[in-house]
Formats: sequence, structure tokens, C-alpha cells
Amino acid sequence: MAEVNPRRSRHSMLGTLIQKELREISRNGSLRIVGVAVFGLLLVTLGLGLREARAVRAERYAAQKVADGHFRTQDDKNPHVAAHYGTYVFKPAGALSFVNPGVDAFVGVSLKLEAHKRNRLEGARARDGTALARFSRLSVASVLELLVPILVVAMGFAAWTAERERGTLRQLKSLGVEPRSLLVGKLLGLLLALAALLIPAFALCVVGVSVFGGALEVGGWGRLFALVLVYGSYVVLWANLTLWASARAKSSRGALVTLLGIWVSVSLIVPRVATDIAMVLSRVPSEAVLSARVKASLNEGVPGGTAREARVNEFSEKLLLQYGFKGAETLMDASLLNGLELQAEALFENEVLDHHYAELGAALDRQERLEQVLGVLSPVIVARSLSMALAGTDAAHHRQFSDRAEIHRRALVDLLNREFAEKGGTRGFDYKAGKELWEKAPKFAYSPPALQWVLGRQFPSLVLLVCWLVVSALLAYRAVARLEVA
Amino acid sequence: MLHAEGLRKQYGEVVALHGLDLMVKEGELFCLLGANGAGKTTTIQLFLGFIRPSAGAARIAGLNVVEHPLQTKALLAYIPENVMLYPNLTGLENLRFFTTLAGKGELQDTELLSMLSRVGLAAEAVNRRVGTYSKGMRQKVGIAMAMAKNAKALLLDEPTSGLDPKASNEFSALLRRLRDDGVAILMATHDIFRSKQDGDRVGIMKEGRLVAIHTTSELSHADLERVYLDHMHH
Repeated sequence: MAEVNPRRSRHSMLGTLIQKELREISRNGSLRIVGVAVFGLLLVTLGLGLREARAVRAERYAAQKVADGHFRTQDDKNPHVAAHYGTYVFKPAGALSFVNPGVDAFVGVSLKLEAHKRNRLEGARARDGTALARFSRLSVASVLELLVPILVVAMGFAAWTAERERGTLRQLKSLGVEPRSLLVGKLLGLLLALAALLIPAFALCVVGVSVFGGALEVGGWGRLFALVLVYGSYVVLWANLTLWASARAKSSRGALVTLLGIWVSVSLIVPRVATDIAMVLSRVPSEAVLSARVKASLNEGVPGGTAREARVNEFSEKLLLQYGFKGAETLMDASLLNGLELQAEALFENEVLDHHYAELGAALDRQERLEQVLGVLSPVIVARSLSMALAGTDAAHHRQFSDRAEIHRRALVDLLNREFAEKGGTRGFDYKAGKELWEKAPKFAYSPPALQWVLGRQFPSLVLLVCWLVVSALLAYRAVARLEVA
Repeated sequence: MLHAEGLRKQYGEVVALHGLDLMVKEGELFCLLGANGAGKTTTIQLFLGFIRPSAGAARIAGLNVVEHPLQTKALLAYIPENVMLYPNLTGLENLRFFTTLAGKGELQDTELLSMLSRVGLAAEAVNRRVGTYSKGMRQKVGIAMAMAKNAKALLLDEPTSGLDPKASNEFSALLRRLRDDGVAILMATHDIFRSKQDGDRVGIMKEGRLVAIHTTSELSHADLERVYLDHMHH
């Protein structure tokens, strides 16, 4: 008899194992129904997400245009008064917000920029909906994170138990097929069946991103690719867990109950508990507390620092030197003095705000890091954290937007105060600037941070995703290697 | 071809098999007769490597099944009481699947169809899902698998139990054909009639011991039945 090329034979075995799994899955009526239901849901959430994201994008673009228009066409007025009137900036919708809207709906989208104050984002869409809307919101991300694992479980919970119950495992073992080959065949068969459902959805995502076009200036495609890798790994690790539970269970019913128990724990219970643990272990001041602390520091100076009057004077002296004066007594122009004092006060206010917002940012960072680390207890936490970050809809992106807006606010206020100081002359607060100045004001242009920034912040989640993948694969392999037929 | 040397299996205090010594040659059909719990299935499982012996060795073509699991399994085919196949696959797909896993992926569909035809599976059945097959049809697919694999030894565990007489006769004819082709066959069974008709030798097992071996050509059906019942009652 002719010798069979071992490499060719091995490939043929793997192909046969995969083909058999695909046939079994595709010929199972119940699985077809569940698969079509999840696929349909994925399409619906994709369509709705895209429609909403496009509407939001257009809405915010229009609102920004109106706000810019108002600022540029405002009446003549004193520059510092104009700084008090301020302007608004709107956070543009992220290119992938249709995949994962994240915390977008809860943190607000618009920010009022004005003198002396660092405001918080306003206009959270959740406030416009009913309480029920908070719980029934479905997105592509929630389908992928919560429902696709159920589909994986439905497809794979009986992968080994059915072999044992039917007696085919005995038949396979009698052929001397290596457990590793069987595992790889079952895993790839399961994943290919899932890919048949998920790849069209991914293709629609690509179309969606293309439709969004302009919103992808900074790393949009890179983010989408990373998101696909994250969800791909997430599906693989669920497939591993499913095959592990199936190999360990005594019966198909036992495997199903075990897997549903795991799903409920890691999808519903652990994320909730992890959030509470993170909040307890790393407390973040409430908005009211933060406002009170800022107010106190604005009146008295930052805790442990120089008192307000002394610090403002220090800034004034520096500014006088910048303008070429030796001291306030040499300054005969009251308006220039007013202008410089306003600038000095703004610098002091900035220092106070920097102090408190740095503390807030550090506390939020600690809390987020802790939440990420708690992903060791649930792959859902890991996938959710990475997904929101890559979609640009997590709290860190909102803070980054807020920080950019604050830089813009300071530049705007500084421009207006300098104008007042330099051109107010003897008119003092009666001095009015006009269109020429408003036109000179910098335009706020926000672009999301680069992919590297996201990956850097999400490093713990990335490490945990790899750990979940490796550990689940090892668990599945060990369980399959120990499968008993007798 | 099949050789048990002092083969023993013990579960805690319970001894399922007491030092079995047995040799089945190429082209021989050896039937193991005995009541439930006599140690027939344990013997088959030890040859298959599903369980490890407490002492002694099971050898196939001189190779110890514990030390050479893959090589010995490549020489073996196994047909249990119910040949278990994938109900959502057709007979041909099942045969293709198992023969490929057995390392015979080079076989063409025409060859597999020919084997299914030789074992008597109706042409209309080969592309039907196995979920609709009778037990006899599944057993035929099992024989086709052994043929496709070109097995040197065949282990059968109560293969005709529950088959109607016609199916049972067809199955026996297939076994004899394999035996005539040089395959060593070890069949555990309750069926005294089939043992006499198909077997070259018959071993009677009782409480984990091989208590007697007879050459079937030297006994009538009635003699074999009497010998068997004598052993069972003493």
C-alpha cells in the first residue's frame, strides 16, 4: 500500500473534524434558530447604533456651529464680560460609538467654557429618557459581550458530553485520535460556525465606519481592528470555557447548568460587585464635594499652599515683569492694572483647578485601574473595558475631552483678558471689543487620542485578556486529555 | 494477533478479571461467552486501552497496548453493542469521518460507497442521516468502518444483541468474511447459537475467570449449551 504523507494526513484529519462539527451545528434546528436570532439582533443593533450615531454626530456638529456662530457674532462688549458669557463646546461622537455607546449617554456632551469656572459636561441623553430606557438599551457591544457567549454555550455545551452519551467518544478513542486533535477540531468547528454569523456583522461595521468617514481621522481603522481582535479573543475564550465545562461535566444537562451559572456570575454578578468594590476601595469625591473644595481653595488657596492674596500678588508681580514694569506703583493705567489682575486671578484659579482636578483624575485613574484588575474575576469586565476604550466612549475619553476643553477655555480667557489689559486704556470696564477680537478667538478642534494612548491605559485589561485566553485553553486541554470513556 | 498475558483488573477489593491468558490468531474468530459481570467487556476494554490493567499485559501483534496506544489502535477495529454514529450525518459522512480519523483519509467516496454496498447497506440509505437507521444498519456501518480501516484485529462487544434474525445472519456472514480475510476477531457475546455457528473457538468466562475453552467444530449446539450451563450452575 502507498505511504501516506503524514503532514497531508494530519491536515486531512483536522479538516474532517472541523467539517463534521460544522455539519452537526448547521443541521441542528435549535441552533439554527438561536444563531439566526443572535445574528438578527446584531444586525438590528448595528443598524440602530449607526442611525443614532449619525444623528448624534450631525446634531453635535450643528450645535457646535451654532455656538461658534453666537460667539463670533456677539455684540460689542468688554472682553472680560465676553469671557463671562463664554461659549460652548460639544464632544463629537466617536467613530465607533455605534458599536459601543459606553458612558456617552450618562456623562453629557456639552461643556460651557467661561471665566473663573471649570464646568462639567452637561446634556446627558439618559436624562431625556425614562428610567426603563437605562436598562433596556442594547448595543452591538452588549450583544457581543452578553448574548454571543450564550450562543457559544448553546453550540458547544454538549460538545463532549453528547459524544460520551451517544457512545461516539468510545468510537473515537478506539481509533487512537489524540485529544489535542479532537479539541482543536471542535474548537475550530465552533469558531467557524460563529464566524459565519459574526463576519457579515463585522463587514457591516466596516461599512458603518466607512459611512462615518471623516470621524476616523485619528486611528479609527486601527481602533476597529483592535476591537475585532478583542471580541475575537473574547469569543475564543468563551469557546474554550464551554469545551472545558463540557469535558468536565458528567452529562449535557450538567454542562449546560455549569455554563449558565458561569455566565450569570461573570456577566451579571461579578461586574456589578467589581464596580462596587472599586468604588469602596478608591473613593472619588462627588460633584458637590469637589465644587465645595474648589470654592474653598479659590477663597483661601490650595491646602498647604500659599494664601489666595499672596499667590495672586505673586502672579501679578510676574505679569508686571513680563510687561516690563518694576511694580504696581509704577503703573498709572488703571485698566492695565485691572487686566493684569484679572490675568493673575485666572492663573491662580487655574492653579487651584489643576490641583483639584489632578486629585480627581488620580482617584478616577485608581478606580478605573482597580476595575480593570478585577477583570481577573470576569472576562466580561475585560472585554467591556477594552471595547469602551477602543470605541472612545469610556470615562477616560470623556475626561480627556474635558481636559482639552479646559486648555481651550484657558487660552480663550487669556486672550480676552490680555486684550482687556492691553487695549482697555483709561476706559476700564467701559472698553468694548468687537467682531475683530471674536474672530481672533481660537477654534475648538477635538480629535480623539491615538490608539497607543488607549492601549497604554488599558494595559491591565490587555494582559488579563491574554491570561483568560491562555488559562481557558489550558483548562480545556487538560479536561479533554483526561476524558474517560469507561 | 490478540494476546492476553496474566491480564488482571481490580477495582478496589473487587477483582473483575483474574489473570486472563488468551491468544487469538490471525483468521480466527474467538467467542467469549458468559453471564453479565463475567469479565467479557473488561477484557475488551483492556485490549482497547480504555482501562489500564492491574497486572499482566494485553498485546496486539506483540505490542503492549499500554506502551504503544496509537500503534495498537491503528491495528484494531471495535464494534460495540450499539455502533454509535453521529445522527445528523449520513452513513457515508459517518464512514468518511471515522475512516479519516483512523488514518485512511486517502480513501475516495467511491471506495467507501463500495464498502457500504459490500456490507449490505441499501444504496438509498447511504446518503440518509444515521438518525433514521435501524440498529442493524448501524452495525453494518461499523463493519464497513473496520473494513475501510483494514484492521488486523476486531473486537466486538455483544454486537448482535437486539438484532432481528435476518440482520443477525447478515452480520454473522460479514464477520466470517473478515475472518476469512485473516482478521483476528474477539467477540464477547451471550449468544450460544451464534458462538457455535460463527466461532472457531469459544471461551466461557465466569466471575472474571476464563473457565473453559472449546473448539466449536468438536461440539454440537446442544453440547455447547450443556457445557455452558454446567459452568454457570457450578
